[in-house]
Amino acid sequence: MFRKLYLVYGFLVLSASGFAAYRGWSLDTINQVKNVPRSVRDNPGSYRSVYSGYHHYTGGK
Amino acid sequence: MGTGSPPLTSPPPKPQAKALNCPGCGAAITLRSLGQAVNVICESCHSILDAKDPNLKILQTFQAATGIDHPMIPLGKRGKIRGVDYEVIGFQRRSINVEGVTYAWHEYLLFNPYKGYRYLSEYQGHWNDIAVCKELPTINSNVIGPATANYLGEDYRHFQTADANTGFVLGEFPWQVRVGEHATVTDYVKPPRVLSSEKTSDEVSWSIGEYMEGGDVWKAFQLPGSAPEAIGVYENQPSPVSANVKPVWAVFALLSILLLFVMAAFDLTAKKEPVFHGSYELNPGEPKGEASFVTEPFELKGRSSTIEVSTSTNVRNSWIYLNYALINQDTGQAWDFGREVSYYFGYDSDGSWKEGKPNDSVVVPEVPAGNYYLRIEPEVDASHPQIAYTVDVRRDVPVNAFFGIGFLALLIPAIVITWRAASFERSRWSESDHPPIKLSSSSEDDD
Repeated sequence: MFRKLYLVYGFLVLSASGFAAYRGWSLDTINQVKNVPRSVRDNPGSYRSVYSGYHHYTGGK
Repeated sequence: MGTGSPPLTSPPPKPQAKALNCPGCGAAITLRSLGQAVNVICESCHSILDAKDPNLKILQTFQAATGIDHPMIPLGKRGKIRGVDYEVIGFQRRSINVEGVTYAWHEYLLFNPYKGYRYLSEYQGHWNDIAVCKELPTINSNVIGPATANYLGEDYRHFQTADANTGFVLGEFPWQVRVGEHATVTDYVKPPRVLSSEKTSDEVSWSIGEYMEGGDVWKAFQLPGSAPEAIGVYENQPSPVSANVKPVWAVFALLSILLLFVMAAFDLTAKKEPVFHGSYELNPGEPKGEASFVTEPFELKGRSSTIEVSTSTNVRNSWIYLNYALINQDTGQAWDFGREVSYYFGYDSDGSWKEGKPNDSVVVPEVPAGNYYLRIEPEVDASHPQIAYTVDVRRDVPVNAFFGIGFLALLIPAIVITWRAASFERSRWSESDHPPIKLSSSSEDDD
C-alpha cells in the first residue's frame, strides 16, 4: 500500500519537476516591472533598478 | 459451557461432568479437559487441587501475598483460533525479573479435544498465539552476534534468557502447576514469530508463538468492549514499516533513474540559443557621469522560456555589481535583477585561499517572445583599476535545480521510512539481552 502511495507521489514529483522545466521556471530572484517607459531606451538614467543601493561585499578572507 | 459461547466447529463430546467440590472451600469445580487435567485450581479459594485424585486433594493453598489476577478472557470462554474452536481452561501469571524490574505476563491455556492444547500469552496489550513445537530446534552459538535457533528451516535470533516465576494460577492444567515454580525461559525471535524454550530441572520444552493483535483476540472470543491498547514494542511484534523499506528504496531507485532521464531529455532538447553578446570596460578613475547604459535590441523567438544572462569579468581581489533590467521594448515589461561578481584570493598561514568567482549567471523565468534590450548599471570598487566584463544572453536554458529538488522530494520519504523502521527495531532490541549500542553516554552509564 505504502509502495503504491510512494509511487504515485514519485510520479507527481517527477511531473512537477518536468512541468517546472518545461515552463521555464527559475529559482533566481527576479523582480518583474510593468510599463517601463519607452524613454529608458534613450535615457537609461531615467530608470532606477529596485536593486540599486545594494550593500556590496568588500571582503575576502 | 457458557450460553454465550460460539459452537465448536468439531463439537467436543459432551463433558462427563462430575459433581466435584473443592475440599478447601466447598465450591463447585468444573473439569473441562475431559480427564486430561493433572491439576485444577478452585476459582473460589484458588487452592491447587490434584485433578487425578477422586477427592481432589489439595496440593497447594492460595497465598494472599501472591495477589489475585483476573483473566481478560474468562475461563470456559470459547473462541476460534486459526479456524479451530478452543476453550479457555487455564490461566496463569508469570514474571521475570531483569535488573530489579519485574515484567509480568499472562498465559491462557486453550483446549480442543481433537486438536489438543495451545496458549495465548499477553503482555501489556501484546498477544501471542502459541503452540508446542513439532520438532526440536537446533541452536547455533555464533561467535559474532547473538545465538540463533533454527526451526523448520528458519533462523530465529536470540532475544532474552531469564528466570520465570509463576505467580498466580487458575483453572486446570495438564501438568503439575504450582505457584512459585521457576523455569529458565529463552526467547528467539523472527517477527512475527517467537521461538521459546522453557527449562526446568527435569525437562526442556519448546513452543512457537505468532504475534496477534489484541483486537483479533477480542474478535475471536467475542469479548465485550475493546482490547487494551498495546504499550511499547514487543519482542516479536511485526514492524509496521520494516516491510516497506526495501520496496520504497527500489521505487526510489526507479524514480531517480526516470528523473535523470527526464532531466537529460530537457537538457538535450533545450536550444541554449545565444541571442546577445556584449563586451564592456569600466574605468573607475574616469570622470563620474551616468553609469547606466542600454544594449542593442535582440529578438527572442519561440515559446516563453528561460533566459540566461551570464557575466564574465576580470575582477581580482575586487568586485563589480551590475544592476540589470531585461526590458521588452514593445510592451514595457521588465525583469529587474542585480548581480554581484566578486573574486578574492590570497595566501596565509593556512595556505592559499580563494572566495567567489569572476563570473556569474542568472536565469530569468518564462520570458515570452519579443524584442528586448538590457539596461545595465555597473558599480565597482573605486580603488580598482579598469574592469573588463562581457555579457552573454542565451534563450531556452535548462534549469536542473528543479530536478535536484525533485530528487530530494523523492529521497525524504525513503529516509523517513528507513529511520522509522530502524527506530522500531531499536525499541524492540533495547529490551533484549542484546541492546543496541547507545551513541551518547552519561555518567550513569559509566558507573
